[in-house]
Amino acid sequence: MHHILTKFSNHEGTPQDIALLERLCDMVKYTSLCGLGQSSPNAVVSTLRFFRDEYEARMLEMEGAR
Amino acid sequence: MTKTFKIDGIDVSAADDQTILQVARERGIFIPTLCYLEGLSFVGACRLCVVEIDGNPNPVSACATFPQEGMEVRTNTERLQGYRRLILEMLFAEGNHVCAVCVVNGHCELQWLANKLGMNYNSLENFNPAKKVDASHYRFAIDHNRCILCTRCVRVCDEIERAHIWDVMGRGVNSKVITELNQPWGESLNCTSCGKCINVCPTGALFKKSKAVAEMEKDTQFLRYFSNLWEVEK
Repeated sequence: MHHILTKFSNHEGTPQDIALLERLCDMVKYTSLCGLGQSSPNAVVSTLRFFRDEYEARMLEMEGAR
Repeated sequence: MTKTFKIDGIDVSAADDQTILQVARERGIFIPTLCYLEGLSFVGACRLCVVEIDGNPNPVSACATFPQEGMEVRTNTERLQGYRRLILEMLFAEGNHVCAVCVVNGHCELQWLANKLGMNYNSLENFNPAKKVDASHYRFAIDHNRCILCTRCVRVCDEIERAHIWDVMGRGVNSKVITELNQPWGESLNCTSCGKCINVCPTGALFKKSKAVAEMEKDTQFLRYFSNLWEVEK
């Protein structure tokens, strides 16, 4: 997760990364044994819900590259 | 007292000391596991055996949950398949699992399970961590690159052999199994060299020396009451 977030902060994210991030958060949240594991993805889930436009702004500019 | 409940719509009954996983195994219902081994205590570490229970938003691990009267358990929904797949991918990404050069290639539970669950590629990037190999023991060696931290070796050494030379050290991706107080295995005075840890290891992390690629076969018959999923399925 940290690795993917770093990609976004370096403007290297892709739409697949957002999908993977969502999958990872969902899996960690629902299969964890302890409360720490169940709640720690919430930080990322919240940013995805409220600041999704920022993720999208920090994606790799595919159109520009072509 | 016997409890009755449902697994995938099939009526089953369980004794007081039976977990959901044990009942499912008895009835031939497939639930993938890596850390669970019959005859040892359960830890619920690998999370592959997660099952859904009606009325409970969070899936629970079947190996560590005792059934309740009237429970309805589902073992193979699309959601669970997704979770299991991602858990497996994370296991592969976190270590250096290179089957082609592994001593247990073809006899590996992790490899078999990935095959069985249809994991044909890994959507996660490999960590490629720099992990060590300890070959100081005169008969056995441990390759931390292939360790998935199921703690089977820890439990078998503690509960069956009663030597307890294995333990887990560190946190998160930095955790690893250690012998004694993180001393080289060969210097351990308490290790009885019984080889139980070698044979319960689901991957090629623990292996006998002088075995080449794909030559190491686990002898799971040396402890008769152990039965792992792989053996049952075969």
